[in-house]
Amino acid sequence: MDEQERDAGGAGGSDARLAAAFRDAAAHPPPAGFDAGDVVAASRRITRRRRSALAGGALAVLAVAGVGTAGLVGGPEAAPTSSAASAPAADGRRAAGPDGGPAAGSAPDAARAGGPAQQAAPELAPVPAPVPQPPDGTGADAAAGDAAAAGGGPPLGPGTAACADRQDPALRALLERALPEVAGAPEAAVTTECRPAGERGLALEVREGSTSGLLSVTYLPPGRAVDPPGVAEPPAAVARTAATASGGTVVVASRAGRAGDPSPFADRLDAVVARLAPQL
Amino acid sequence: MARGGQAQGDDGFDAYFRARRDAVRRTAYLLCGDWHRADDHAQAAFVALHRHWRRIRDRDALDAWMRRTLVRSIVDESRRPWRRERSTDAVSEARPAGVAAPAHGPADAVATRHVLVDGLRAVPPRQRAVLVLRFLEGLDVAATAAVLGCSPGTVKSQTAHGLTALRAALGDALDDLRTAG
Repeated sequence: MDEQERDAGGAGGSDARLAAAFRDAAAHPPPAGFDAGDVVAASRRITRRRRSALAGGALAVLAVAGVGTAGLVGGPEAAPTSSAASAPAADGRRAAGPDGGPAAGSAPDAARAGGPAQQAAPELAPVPAPVPQPPDGTGADAAAGDAAAAGGGPPLGPGTAACADRQDPALRALLERALPEVAGAPEAAVTTECRPAGERGLALEVREGSTSGLLSVTYLPPGRAVDPPGVAEPPAAVARTAATASGGTVVVASRAGRAGDPSPFADRLDAVVARLAPQL
Repeated sequence: MARGGQAQGDDGFDAYFRARRDAVRRTAYLLCGDWHRADDHAQAAFVALHRHWRRIRDRDALDAWMRRTLVRSIVDESRRPWRRERSTDAVSEARPAGVAAPAHGPADAVATRHVLVDGLRAVPPRQRAVLVLRFLEGLDVAATAAVLGCSPGTVKSQTAHGLTALRAALGDALDDLRTAG
């Protein structure tokens, strides 16, 4: 220990006593609540869920883009056939093509599923924790987020999973439209805690210029209040809250990754929360 | 500290998991003060690791990555609106102030553990993380700074502040640690 630590920590002999006390405090763990099988099963469940969300989100984007393209190209006379015009746009080759339309729209989804942006991350990028939830419905939820973001659907509203999704794909779709710079950002680690049904959450590791940090979005359903800012709020955190169209509350917060740095996108949070509120 | 360098594929993951599970759980426990939440955080970290396992190039960095994921997860959770931690001025009633330090019986040993964990919960999360990494995991300043993504100077100052906060929280409850300072 150096001088500064010695002021509080005393002589080196105390280090050993402290270490022994720390070890002893955690020396008798109860039986573990999980084994390797649980970990592998949860990991595979998340992988399946993400693929499903990717497929659902991409299809929704393609459908929206197809309808829009038909309206622009065909004009008023083409309106009766606009639903048929969306069919070719759902072709996967079209989505991957160089025309910039649907392919550009699907880029965030590709990144979310481990696309180029995520593969370019450091050796081990933090990833989401397992979130207990029903096996189905995530893709549809992501599609609903895309529709709400495109202005063509009702507000997203409360989540439908038994436990709130801590990395909600629908919420991410909305955020990526409100703040395109975070498209492809790696997901921050979250816990397996089962949050009450209806909530939605999202936590991303984001970078703005030379600063990086955590950007989180939380949707609380109607009737669930946000704690007032407390003394434990990290000094570098910036948060914005707004009432949503579904009667709930959305909280967007940004925190710098290291003390003293500015919180990334802090000056954009007002605009982001204003854009998300009518869509949630 | 276990290394996964010789491990390959899922078998390698199993070996790493077996070697490190309890150590990760213990670290999580001192970071959050509750075995159930500790298991949640530890499992989440292992699941995240498994999802990346085949793409990991530097197997020697596994332990550092697990620590970083665990600390970030627990510190972030403590700041979420629904689980924002409130610092307390003193440890709970595990041992009233002024009562003599524990003797060496089994019941006293259990009480001692609880007092220290309660004391840690009164330490701000980042400072608590520094203390756990340094005194439970035995990391030096540089390794702790690497895990937390901060400078060595920050680790030193947070160690000092964390120890001060811990001892203030312990009061007379754990004379061994108090007098150690």
